[in-house]
Amino acid sequence: MIVRALGVAALALFFLGAFTPLPAHLYATLAVPARVGPADAIVVLAGGGVLGDGQLSDTSRRRTAVGIDLYRDGLAPLLVLSGATRPGSESTARATLAGTCGVPGEAILAVAAGHTTHEEVATLGARLRARGVRRVLLVTDGSHMRRAARLFEVARFEVLPAPVPADDDPTQPGERILLLHETLREGLALLYYEVAGYL
Amino acid sequence: MTPYLAIALTSLLAYLVAVKRLGRRPADLPRALARVADSLGAGLIFTVVNLAAAGALVLGLRALTGRFFTLYSLDDVVWLVVSLLQGWIWRLWREAPPRLNSS
Repeated sequence: MIVRALGVAALALFFLGAFTPLPAHLYATLAVPARVGPADAIVVLAGGGVLGDGQLSDTSRRRTAVGIDLYRDGLAPLLVLSGATRPGSESTARATLAGTCGVPGEAILAVAAGHTTHEEVATLGARLRARGVRRVLLVTDGSHMRRAARLFEVARFEVLPAPVPADDDPTQPGERILLLHETLREGLALLYYEVAGYL
Repeated sequence: MTPYLAIALTSLLAYLVAVKRLGRRPADLPRALARVADSLGAGLIFTVVNLAAAGALVLGLRALTGRFFTLYSLDDVVWLVVSLLQGWIWRLWREAPPRLNSS
């Protein structure tokens, strides 16, 4: 009977996820609204690394583009481009892209900052504090922002969230399921970070 | 919504074929849906157990080897489908008649 109830619950979640705005509502509870303003540094978190041909992944490119736009708007004198610690440096590829888009080299800080968001914030935090940075404009995906911003706040930074614009109210069933999946995945990650004592 | 209209039409067609041609009773349909729910429920249990086991394996490998293994490897739709298949097979196997003991 319990197994059947679980099956019915799974079916209900699937159909509610595909054909109602439930995923958008759940995502809204997770997302952090943008609060863009002047800061000491723009921090662009790693996202997907580089592909086999050395090009940035789509996620990484979108985050970098938002960071470059914020820099061009004059919101901070420093653009911090993070990247995962693995072969084919994401941070270097991002710095190259930023340079191509007119960001001066002395305004760019490219850092290979670790494998996880927790490691990334620990590494970046030390580098930022050494430069006297207290207030950061944080760039990452909307679903990732809550976890990342809380890590920076725990590290005693003032955080201005600048999430990458995304379709947070899809109309197609497949897109809704993807949003539900993203929301549940990030919910699990938040739970894991809470249990691990990172937040 | 065109694909879903097509699904509605083929479902209606299948219902008519089952009742008119194959002699199936409409009263048996809820039982078939219940069996689908049973299989899905078993699949969900396999999914959760697989998720917990794989997560523990990743964290254990990190601790034991000192190397980095990503939890994002668990974020894979194929893995979810295989877990649901596990549940389906488990359910069908359980429903099969037990082997007769010849001794």
